[in-house]
Amino acid sequence: MSTDDTSVPADRPTEEITVTVNGETVTTEVEPRHKLSDFLREHLGLRGVRVGCEHGVCGACTVLMDGDAVKSCLSYAVQADGAELETVEGLADDGSLHPIQQSFHEEHALQCGFCTSGFVMATKELLNENPDPDDEEIREGLADNICRCTGYQNIYEAVNRAADRMEDE
Amino acid sequence: MSGTQSPPEADVEERAGEAEFTGRGLERVEDHRILTGRAEYVHDVAPENCLHMALVRSMHAHADIVDIDVSAALEVPGCEAVLTAEDIKERYNPMPCGLNGFEEWSLADGKVRYVGEPVAAVVATDRYVAEDAVDAVVVDYETRDCVVDPRGALEDDVVVHEEFGSNVADREELVFGDVEGAFEDADRVVESSYSWGRISGVPLETAGVVAQYDDDADSFDIDCNIQLHTLVDDTVYETLGYGPDDVHLNVPADVGGSFGTKIAIHRYCCLAAMASQQLERPVKFVEDRIENLQGGDMHSSEREYEVKLAVDDDGTIRGLDVWFVDDFGAWPRYPVNQVLKPLSVVSNAYDIQDVRYEYELVLTNKTSQTAYRGFGVPSHIYALEMIVEEAARELGMDPDELRRRNLIAPDQMPYELPTKNIYDSGDFPEAFEEIQRIVDEHERCEGGLLDPEVVAAKREEGKYRGVRPTVHIEPGVSGSDWTDRQRSDRAELDDRDRDDVAELPEHLRAEVLADGTVKAYIATDTSGQGHQTLVSQLLADELGVLPSDIEVGYLDSVEAPTEYGTAASRMAVMLSGATAGLGRTLVENLEALAAREWDCGVAEVAYRDGRVERVDTGESLSLADLANRDADGEFVRASYDYEHPASQLEEFDEALSRKFPVYPTAAFAANAPIVEVDAKTGEVDILKFYSLRDCGTQLNPTIVEGQAHGGIAQGVGAALQEEFGYDDAGQPQAITLFDYKLPSIENVPEIKLEHTETPSPFTETGAKGTGEGGMIDGPAAIAASINAALEPLDVTVDQIPFTPNRVRERIRNSSVER
Repeated sequence: MSTDDTSVPADRPTEEITVTVNGETVTTEVEPRHKLSDFLREHLGLRGVRVGCEHGVCGACTVLMDGDAVKSCLSYAVQADGAELETVEGLADDGSLHPIQQSFHEEHALQCGFCTSGFVMATKELLNENPDPDDEEIREGLADNICRCTGYQNIYEAVNRAADRMEDE
Repeated sequence: MSGTQSPPEADVEERAGEAEFTGRGLERVEDHRILTGRAEYVHDVAPENCLHMALVRSMHAHADIVDIDVSAALEVPGCEAVLTAEDIKERYNPMPCGLNGFEEWSLADGKVRYVGEPVAAVVATDRYVAEDAVDAVVVDYETRDCVVDPRGALEDDVVVHEEFGSNVADREELVFGDVEGAFEDADRVVESSYSWGRISGVPLETAGVVAQYDDDADSFDIDCNIQLHTLVDDTVYETLGYGPDDVHLNVPADVGGSFGTKIAIHRYCCLAAMASQQLERPVKFVEDRIENLQGGDMHSSEREYEVKLAVDDDGTIRGLDVWFVDDFGAWPRYPVNQVLKPLSVVSNAYDIQDVRYEYELVLTNKTSQTAYRGFGVPSHIYALEMIVEEAARELGMDPDELRRRNLIAPDQMPYELPTKNIYDSGDFPEAFEEIQRIVDEHERCEGGLLDPEVVAAKREEGKYRGVRPTVHIEPGVSGSDWTDRQRSDRAELDDRDRDDVAELPEHLRAEVLADGTVKAYIATDTSGQGHQTLVSQLLADELGVLPSDIEVGYLDSVEAPTEYGTAASRMAVMLSGATAGLGRTLVENLEALAAREWDCGVAEVAYRDGRVERVDTGESLSLADLANRDADGEFVRASYDYEHPASQLEEFDEALSRKFPVYPTAAFAANAPIVEVDAKTGEVDILKFYSLRDCGTQLNPTIVEGQAHGGIAQGVGAALQEEFGYDDAGQPQAITLFDYKLPSIENVPEIKLEHTETPSPFTETGAKGTGEGGMIDGPAAIAASINAALEPLDVTVDQIPFTPNRVRERIRNSSVER
């Protein structure tokens, strides 16, 4: 994780925030208008956070804030002050994929992959709350994310496989 | 080399004897980096000292630019420059245009012609500041009347380009066979009108570019997510006024979807490059979603059809007559022209030899048109299937029977269309029967979705269920030289010789490295289709090694020969053909190298399973040994250019020489979406989508299936939800994803796929390509099933997308009592 605070010119107002991202705590100055998605991508180098629409429909920028899935393009970085954030970068453990990532891979639940981090994080929230969702619950849980390539069927399969795998662990 | 592959997977199987990797659903090598957030899309490219660009865009559909005042913008702290048409006209060239007689600059010159048209480019320290400065640019407009309706545009009351003098940028009437005779002799003529709304691919990743001018070399490095970067690089280097070797277009290994649309994003590449040259710093531009939907040069075809069918009372179709107007938007965009490709499947799966085909390409005050999955074919197949349905109604005939009677028979294969394209292979009647059997067995039975008792009970609730199977052709493999037909002198086409036809092969190269692994390089870009996986899988078979021994990267526009690339389901056929040829070439090279090492004849050595053996002594040299004995890389490097399959065959000579669209593979599908229409709300729900698909040899069935799922999902969106509407003043009505409704997990039904494999006799591997199916055949199939469901109400699908509003309106206006 790299930090780069040089992008804010001196003549613009900033506020200090402290956030914990994937277990690491960072204190930094940000512009109040700086979006959380841009903050994560540009300040912290977490480019797995994808920006697809910037108006909260596509879900590509989904991250977990204190365990809840949020669209980081609709949040400002200052709103995350004091929060614990999780992004897709925090999932893989020493290079071995998290069960959700592994299941997306095995079920071919990604093609271009631009929406994938968002789907993976939304799935994480879903399975945290409901370890064994049925199709209807998967549908509800992932209705805030758009995928343009896969047609969703393999995403259902991936979520089911991830649920089984996490139950076994 | 960009796009490092994932680390070798533990689960990649060992090479076992003669078992092949080709044909197996290997998991993708692209996935690991994507899933862990390490993929580098162009949005992630962030060189040091980079500036950011934002665009001032027109809020008017049609207006003269009286004045542009940039002084306040330049006062914004952090704003480095503002470019207008005046600035760029001093140093650069207009962008290449799709038709002769048009000159489009990268920024509006004197007049704006659609809402969202870029008027000025602002460059600043970051995108936030750039947008501040955009707000400070004052543009004084004098508005004009605009033209929005494509049929209205034909009248030329308001002309979008005065210097051209008409809104009809191009028109052509093509007559094949004895159309007049067919229509005179037939028992009846059925005619109707259909319309196809403005839709597009809307990839989740917007367009992006990072341009860097190198003062020392006087050249440009441009990272961008343009599609077909080796083919359309001229749109960038010609605009900049440089030679092809001085402008490197580099597309990252990961592109967040394109579906054809990103072919036309050259404007952004040019503007960022110009700004970079002026400021001597890298300049980045990432289109935001509103820009993308409003004026991002990425809308696709919008068509109004008048279709006639000559048909006998026994159901024999005698002739087809198609007229349509295609709304090109404000500029004829190079290299996009989607009105001709339907000629390659002009009669779909039906045997019709007498055809008239006429189009008018009109300019209106809307965003310019770009390519989209299917390249103009989906709307044609839809209009054709709808007129066949209309014929069945007028004849009082079962539509299934009418269709069955006219399907091309297997003994007619290869089948030459009147438009001179050829379907290579397939049994359409069998596919049609099979999909009917599947539906009957699974759904038209007790407990099924079409259980007659359930259907009747649902109807009592105002919910109308139905299905109507259809068969569709998905033409594969673009790249014969037809796409510039409209920029050619048509009178000369009749005398054009076969030798004048340009070949557009696909290039692949590879080298064996000192550690015995192989590095292959693809000469095109990709956007999620799994090309790295495909090449590593196929080349592993050619060389008798493991896919994990092969790493696959990409070439930029200068390193790669100017060739075609990813379009029209081309890559399965072209990359697999190129891989086979490259494998043969490498094996021959390595045998020659080994023979040199052993000082023996080539006949005395044999390549097998990643080694060359000396036949008499049994000695062998591994790939690593061989690479270490070839200091100059003379033998261990090889390249291969696989030629377009049609260019090998005399049967295509007439089509090729006259520049008719040539697609030498006919993948096909028999579809049966089961739909339910709520007569009260107008909502159409697809309960389940049955599809039997044949794309010839399946190189990787997992990827094939994924393409089908994705294509059908886009077909669902096109049929029911998506549309770029405009009001009468030319204001776009869908500029957010709240208005342009992409299908979510809630809209896409369960898809039940069956596959058959009829290998193509024309291609190296028997593959036919599979990238566009679902989008080509989904809308027509869904429309036919809606017609079946709404038969009791006498409502038919005459306008795509069939939104709840439109369905309700048709039901209200129906004369049938409910």
